[in-house]
Amino acid sequence: MEAAIEIKKLSKSYPGRVALNEISFSVKKGSVHGFLGPNGAGKSTTMKILSGLIPPTDGEFKVNGKVGFLPEHPPLYPNMSVRDYLVFVQSIYSSEGNKNHAAVESVIQKTGLSQVSERLIGNLSKGYQQRVGIAQALVHSPEIIILDEPTVGLDPSAINEIRELIKELKKDHTILFSSHQLHDVELLCSDITLIDQGKIVVSGPLDKIVEGLKTRLTLKARVEKFSESERTKMLTKFKLDSLILREISDKKEFELEMSVKAPETIKKELAKYLASDDIGLLEFAEVKIALEDLFKQMIQ
Amino acid sequence: MYLNKILILTKKELKDAFLSPLIYILTGLFSCMLGWLFFNYLVQVKTLSTGTIGQTVVTPIFGNINFIFVFLCPLLTMRTFAEESKQSTLNLLLGSQLSEMQIILGKFLSTLIQVMFMLSFTILFPVILAISGYSDWGVVWSSYFGVALSVMCYLAVGLFCSSLTDNQIVASLLTFCILLGSMLLVITVNATENYLLTLIVQYMTIPFHYEGFVKGLIRSYSFVYYASFLSFFFLLTQKSLQARKW
Repeated sequence: MEAAIEIKKLSKSYPGRVALNEISFSVKKGSVHGFLGPNGAGKSTTMKILSGLIPPTDGEFKVNGKVGFLPEHPPLYPNMSVRDYLVFVQSIYSSEGNKNHAAVESVIQKTGLSQVSERLIGNLSKGYQQRVGIAQALVHSPEIIILDEPTVGLDPSAINEIRELIKELKKDHTILFSSHQLHDVELLCSDITLIDQGKIVVSGPLDKIVEGLKTRLTLKARVEKFSESERTKMLTKFKLDSLILREISDKKEFELEMSVKAPETIKKELAKYLASDDIGLLEFAEVKIALEDLFKQMIQ
Repeated sequence: MYLNKILILTKKELKDAFLSPLIYILTGLFSCMLGWLFFNYLVQVKTLSTGTIGQTVVTPIFGNINFIFVFLCPLLTMRTFAEESKQSTLNLLLGSQLSEMQIILGKFLSTLIQVMFMLSFTILFPVILAISGYSDWGVVWSSYFGVALSVMCYLAVGLFCSSLTDNQIVASLLTFCILLGSMLLVITVNATENYLLTLIVQYMTIPFHYEGFVKGLIRSYSFVYYASFLSFFFLLTQKSLQARKW
């Protein structure tokens, strides 16, 4: 698949500090690419380089198309109205310096700013300001949109709205966005790149990364009867790494948490075994590894 | 097209400036001070037996206009880049299709128009002089021309200082120091007896060229001076903006 952004051995160093150390990754055209990493990992630096604000020290990158960029702090003029601001940004970003009111109107519609388009940006809520920031990145109709932490500091409903907006934008644009909200990334991204201390930890399709890291299965079960002897029996029979037994006293039920290094087929065998009359299976499920756990695991 | 882009920025800046109270406060202050001075000079004419109105009113009033702008220009230019830098909008401009020079010229033009707005209120003085029978208009217009050129220099210095920092107060103080410092150079000249050095240092200061205009002397080398002064500071500002990318 064609790449919208291609980065090869990109480095950036400031006096006495290496911000990026030969990072390489690519962003597929038409994908939503999540860019993750702890604070100070080099996410913002990479994004600034990609949008042409700072030059890299070494290495090369290719961006196939116009880039719209939303920095960490949205570049807003507090005493301009939303519409005036977007018209201004549109005109300084167009190569002829012409005003295209139709483009501005459609972006206002798209980003849900119609109601506040005549209000001063400084008087808007943070959620709306963030939308104006995104609108600013869209207004000169770029093919690629780079968003640096678009949901940071917003309330849950505003986060949800921004998330919906990104989903909406996915249709026409390639999106690279950084976030600390791993939930966002799980919901929106098809690919991710994880960066730590200026180096790429992992990059690729999200499901494959999660799959590759899932070395062990974690299963949870709720049963009617269970004894200590049954526990030892199961540990040897299925070669379980661990089996944690918890008694739910008021219901006279037991909860089991099993962890095993084995192919997927073991799920079926375990379920069959637990479903016997001696044990009485009530509930059986696989515990999905959350991205957050992976994140912690890899950064360590 | 080059000019078109500059004007987009200038318009935005002007709208910003005229919607904020600063420009009106400064204009009010400026007009009051000058009006009061003008009145005093006029009153003095009666008591002075020697000297024409040109010498006792026109020359000193334009000297004052020029001096007051040394204080006012830093206040007008302090916001230009420092504020953009603070609200992180400077990258928005630098990342756009505008070149650094277009950004500088756009902002320069906007501050110049603001100064012209302030200056426009002093048109009352020639009108009052005309009523009282004054007729040497050449000196008045060449003085206005001189003020405009000098103010351009102050603004160019101000833009440069504003591009160095994201603190408006630092920007205005720095501008003020540079402008006053360059004026004080004239005093230093008196300390030397080297004729050539005197001429060189004199040529470097804004007041020396300005004085010519106030006397009605339009000297071609003054234009060369103003043009090179402006270009030099525009270039410094451009380098300072580019330095953000280093």
